[in-house]
Amino acid sequence: MHAELSKRVGPKLLGMGGYRPAMPAAPHWLLASPLALAYGLFFAAPLLLLAWISLHEDAELTRMGFATWAKFLGDPFYVGVVIKTLKLGIITVIAASVLSYPVALVYYTAGPRVRRILLFVVLLPLLTSVVVRTFAWIALLSREGVANTLLQSSGLTTAPVPLLQTELGLVIALMQIEMPLMLLPLLAVMQRIDPRLVEASRALGASKWRTLAKVLIPLSLPGWVAGATLVFASSTTAFISQSVIGGGRLVYLPTVIWQQAMVLYDWPFAAVASMMLLACVLGGVVLLGLLGRWISREA
Amino acid sequence: MTGPAIDRRTVLAGGAALAGSSLLGGPARAAGSMTAAIYPGTWDEAYRRIVAPILKAKHGVDIGFEPLFAVDQLAKVAAARGVSPFDALVLDPGPRAAGIERGLFAPFDPSKLTNADKIPPGYADKYGAAVNAQIVGIVYNPKKLPKPKSWLDLFEEPYVSRLGLTGFQTTFGTVSLIEMAKKLGGSDTDMEPLFAAMKKILPKVAAVTSPAALPGLFQQGQIDVSYTNTNNVASLQARGVDIDIAFPDSGAITFITTLHIAKGAENVAAAYQYIDAALSAEAQAALMKPPANMIPVNKSVKLEGLSIASLDELSKFVSHDWSKINPQRAAWIERFNKEVTK
Repeated sequence: MHAELSKRVGPKLLGMGGYRPAMPAAPHWLLASPLALAYGLFFAAPLLLLAWISLHEDAELTRMGFATWAKFLGDPFYVGVVIKTLKLGIITVIAASVLSYPVALVYYTAGPRVRRILLFVVLLPLLTSVVVRTFAWIALLSREGVANTLLQSSGLTTAPVPLLQTELGLVIALMQIEMPLMLLPLLAVMQRIDPRLVEASRALGASKWRTLAKVLIPLSLPGWVAGATLVFASSTTAFISQSVIGGGRLVYLPTVIWQQAMVLYDWPFAAVASMMLLACVLGGVVLLGLLGRWISREA
Repeated sequence: MTGPAIDRRTVLAGGAALAGSSLLGGPARAAGSMTAAIYPGTWDEAYRRIVAPILKAKHGVDIGFEPLFAVDQLAKVAAARGVSPFDALVLDPGPRAAGIERGLFAPFDPSKLTNADKIPPGYADKYGAAVNAQIVGIVYNPKKLPKPKSWLDLFEEPYVSRLGLTGFQTTFGTVSLIEMAKKLGGSDTDMEPLFAAMKKILPKVAAVTSPAALPGLFQQGQIDVSYTNTNNVASLQARGVDIDIAFPDSGAITFITTLHIAKGAENVAAAYQYIDAALSAEAQAALMKPPANMIPVNKSVKLEGLSIASLDELSKFVSHDWSKINPQRAAWIERFNKEVTK
């Protein structure tokens, strides 16, 4: 009815020919505004509050200043903690990648039924919580656990190897806990790689390894970048796994944040450590994105 | 466009409906109900089983428990800035002193408790009331190690390679480390001898861990000797772990655990009734039995099955002045961190 009305009235009112809609079309960004509002309120505002707290000098939040930042960045211990946290993230990404690619390749070459089973197996760890998986690793890595029993009974070692409370044990456990995060994007991208490209490469005389290096890996790179981003962000911030498997001697940024906020009630210092962790994760994400773009240009 | 138009009226109607639905929610609170923070593990289980029914029967109050460690309780109350998430807290002396300093407790009036006269003098004051005495000593696996006699034994074989070290985050950790420092020539305020000795034994110890993980490590056989309170020992023994407590020659350590009412609590009257119920002879006698093995402070309860025969024995144990210790704790925690980090 509106259309009818405007067809007759519109041109006269507006002095132009043609049909005009009854009301102006809503700008596209209005559709995103509820989510944007929610993000602004519950995500951006608390972050800004955190940054504001970090600019205070004392635990009672009375004086503002940069002293807390100076204390954090000027202490080699805490700078060392930041570096260790970054190192943990990078090593976990590398370890997860090395183990995920073979699985992704099997998936790529498999038929639809095997693909479905493989996807289910990959998803299975995600159905249990991180805490459950972490505690399961304690049973596996402890002195009398499965790993040590296997090593000793197979004759590879004579005494129990300390795996818990070491960085090696932590990386092993984190790698398995984060692997679904690496595998899912990788599998999704692998699925869409055209098999004819591989056939063409082989037909043109490239060996299997060359095909892998020059065709498959570059094509799967967007998936790897997504997976690496998720694994990096997740492993640097994995407080539960770091404290339960890493123990008291491995101190990372999440540990510092928890201690400063919950035990010492030094909120400005905890806020500084939190902002540093945020900066680390964001830095890692940006770098991975740039790396992905550089490699895809080179290939 | 076809379909429902996204015009101003529908958006406003939808938004109003959403906002209106939030008014429908809200905690279902029966008249006479409250929330109390409680230590996770033995305390949580024992209080749910024993104190909650007594409170319901005597005063008709429904109680919900929130399992939290002492430091976390204070952190939550402090972060809530006046609108406390729970009505009652249970704290050890260290966090208690921190809470007093930060003004996180509602003023407490012991005369409102019917059981106030049954507890030793000084156990209830203007901040809260004591409901339990704890004893801290050396814990060890009797099947794998001989009974240690002194704190210094922990620095020697066969104990040092099976030792689980924990830091100053908890009261039992702090008091144990202070006693070790005293034996090594330090004092309540001087921990240098302890840090020096720790540096030497660090490569040999079995584990350095957070206090929450300590029972788990004992259970898995990662460590066989450490230091903790009798409650932890009791809960592990109940689970079939080989563990026993040894009082060092310098004396076992004791402190009292107190219940407080949070500032800004909603249900103050119910909180007083809760503390009263926890102090009642009925509750204290039941809490004394396994697996809780809590030392009662109600004088009308006869002590049975505990490591001590009467409350007066506690006066022979070592206790500490927290007003001197608390100002140092932050520095000690940081120092411990820096020393033990690989």
